[in-house]
Amino acid sequence: MTTITKKNPHPFRLNMVSRKTETLFHLILLLFALACIIPFIFVIIISFSSEDSIRQIGYSFTPVTWSLDAYHQVFNLGDALWRSYFNSFFITIVGTLLSVTMCVMYAYPLFRKDYKFRGFFSFLSFFTMIFGGGLIPTYIICKNLLGMSNNYAALIVPMLVSPFNIIIMRTFFQTSVPFDLIEAATIDGSGEYNTLVRIILPIVKPGIATVALLTALGYWNEWFLCLMYVTKRELFPLQYLLMEMQRNAEFLARNSSMIGASGASAIATLPSQTMRMAVVVFIVLPIACAYPFFQRYVVAGLTIGSVKG
Amino acid sequence: MKKFLALILAAIMLLTLVPAMADSPVEITMLLEGCNVTDDAAVLEKLNEYLANKIGVTLKPTWGTWGNFDQLAQNAVNTGSDEYDIMFTCSWTANEYAPYAKKGAYVRLDDPEDNLLEEYGAELKNVLPELLFEGAATEGPDGEKGIYAVPGFKDFATMNTWDVNVTLLEKYGYTLEDVEKAGFYGWADIFKTVKEGEEKDGSIFYPFIFEGAVVERYVTGTPIITGDANGLLSYYMNTEDVSVPGAYGNVIFNKFATPEFEKFARQMREYYQAGYIDPAIAIGETATDTWRNAQNSANYLISSEVSLYGYEYTTSEARGIQVAYVMTTDAPYIDNTSVQGAMMAISANSAHPVEAMKFLALLNTDPYVMTLLNYGVEGIHYTLNAEGEVEFNADARATYSPWTNGVGNVTLLPPQKGQGADFQQRFAEFYAGSKKLPIYGFTFDSKPVETEIAAIANIKEAYMLSLCTGAVDVDTALPELLTKLDEAGIQKVVDEANTQLKAFLGE
Repeated sequence: MTTITKKNPHPFRLNMVSRKTETLFHLILLLFALACIIPFIFVIIISFSSEDSIRQIGYSFTPVTWSLDAYHQVFNLGDALWRSYFNSFFITIVGTLLSVTMCVMYAYPLFRKDYKFRGFFSFLSFFTMIFGGGLIPTYIICKNLLGMSNNYAALIVPMLVSPFNIIIMRTFFQTSVPFDLIEAATIDGSGEYNTLVRIILPIVKPGIATVALLTALGYWNEWFLCLMYVTKRELFPLQYLLMEMQRNAEFLARNSSMIGASGASAIATLPSQTMRMAVVVFIVLPIACAYPFFQRYVVAGLTIGSVKG
Repeated sequence: MKKFLALILAAIMLLTLVPAMADSPVEITMLLEGCNVTDDAAVLEKLNEYLANKIGVTLKPTWGTWGNFDQLAQNAVNTGSDEYDIMFTCSWTANEYAPYAKKGAYVRLDDPEDNLLEEYGAELKNVLPELLFEGAATEGPDGEKGIYAVPGFKDFATMNTWDVNVTLLEKYGYTLEDVEKAGFYGWADIFKTVKEGEEKDGSIFYPFIFEGAVVERYVTGTPIITGDANGLLSYYMNTEDVSVPGAYGNVIFNKFATPEFEKFARQMREYYQAGYIDPAIAIGETATDTWRNAQNSANYLISSEVSLYGYEYTTSEARGIQVAYVMTTDAPYIDNTSVQGAMMAISANSAHPVEAMKFLALLNTDPYVMTLLNYGVEGIHYTLNAEGEVEFNADARATYSPWTNGVGNVTLLPPQKGQGADFQQRFAEFYAGSKKLPIYGFTFDSKPVETEIAAIANIKEAYMLSLCTGAVDVDTALPELLTKLDEAGIQKVVDEANTQLKAFLGE
């Protein structure tokens, strides 16, 4: 120990690597963090630039003139905006609660070594990860058979069960819950449900948080389900509102010579570029704000269960 | 007791028959394209009352937008669903008219055994020009030509025009005639004067802002060849008289390998280097926005537009300047793409094809229905002024704007403010004077050369916009492009197109 401290004038820390390597790692991580955060900062800057500025110099970190027009336009959406905001929250919260419940209830038996059909059910969920039914059959099942069209179910149910999350959850059970615990609980007279809810769940909280975060992100960012199954505007989530603006603009740009002059007036009614960026800000903010609350658990989830140093 | 039970059962049975006997209206569902509709309650209430009385039908529209129509239409057709009785179709959406008719997605309207068109839509033939039905004739699943959709009466001939800001032009002592006479290759002087004049205050002004992706068609006189989705092929029209073959005859070329294209590209390069062209239109992401923004803010001298009759009234008023459209051909020309530009087809899975046909017939012949569906309710969405012209109520209209051309026969609509009472008559007369291209009716079937086209499309995409806006050096970029195209097998595509064209013309 003493030799190490002599060679290295800096105070000793656990898991320390050489100073050079550490600087290098920090630099790499810094670049990575920048690569993540800069696009978002850019979006915020664009949303506060004036249309004129974009016309003159394009997207820029230093626009010629600043303006709040984009946000005025977004607020002018009025009901449509708040309604879709509500929908996004509703879908995300209900979807996440249901999805996590199902995920835990599916993963728990798969972890129990004394469950006879483990192999079969593991395979069943794993299989759908590799082979999907394809777009059209899925559409027929969801829409015609299950009646998921123009209702909240269409935006929630298709994403309820994620085999990927089930596998994460099962692995989490395996690494953090000793089987003896279940046996002990059984001996003490605890029923299956009681064991799961009162004994196991508190242990796997970090795992649940991780899965919940993944699921919530998935629901929050989902727009394709809406494109497929929903045409009623009252049900649009915020993300789809943005996608619709974007898709409208792209389609008109691509087909302007086909649609002819009437396309010009259609383009004139489209939301401006800065407004689209402002909507992005509206979409990102809530989830960015929610992240710190999950973060504690996610970090814990990543480190817990493994052999600690 | 038994008797009593039987009586009750019989009564119930009869009761269930009552609604059927009362002839309750049939609900027709319809998928439209390009709509911006958030509140249709007022319109549907009036419309359905009228329709129920008149033809025993009520309408349930799905207001597709530019962004979601393709997906909705494809889902419905590919799953064989009966969700929509009537569907918008045309030559440029994902449920492309010709291939989907061939696939059997739509009901044949002039089926000799069950001629819906004759039986329920006879008046359509009187109202819509004959050539629209000619253009709508396409091969069905049985390989026979038939009509699979009701064509929309709109600006069915293509008018490629230069959009000229006359107000600005006259400020510098030029006239519209000067622009016309000089032509695309002789605008340098005009651009120079106007640019220098406008930039005196130190700002930047670009006189020439256009749609780079298609402007080459205006200059070289090459129409869209239906089926050539990537714009790789050129057919040279006779711009003096579009109804007869041009100097090359009825031949199709590799778009980029002709002297005409090279001359055009060099001229663009010259304008670009002189600073007459906004660099932003050479970048795919900003091109359309820049072009439309410049037009709408009257911040241009010459631009491009696929125009339509009477459009200068609309734009002059909107932009606060005098706008003129200079045609690049002697008359509007009729090609498949423009004739099949907006149509309504009845789904092959529809449970009510007869009622759907009745509705389509009414929509295209009854001004009340057409105006209601298109412009909304009088007194809510618009008012009629003393001249009988429509003045929109902007707030209500913002919640109810279907795409006018996508609904049906626009000649049934009352004129809009500034167009004059006899606008629709003049509109119809103007388009009656349009000419058919010699290759009218030809559709290129790209199936045999699919693999080549897939490879070529990407190459073309990388060069097209920058070459057509002068953003790259012609001497290096053009030969590079030609070599790459040759390697990807463009000659095979051109040969295939010419073989098909010859077969079509019966040569």
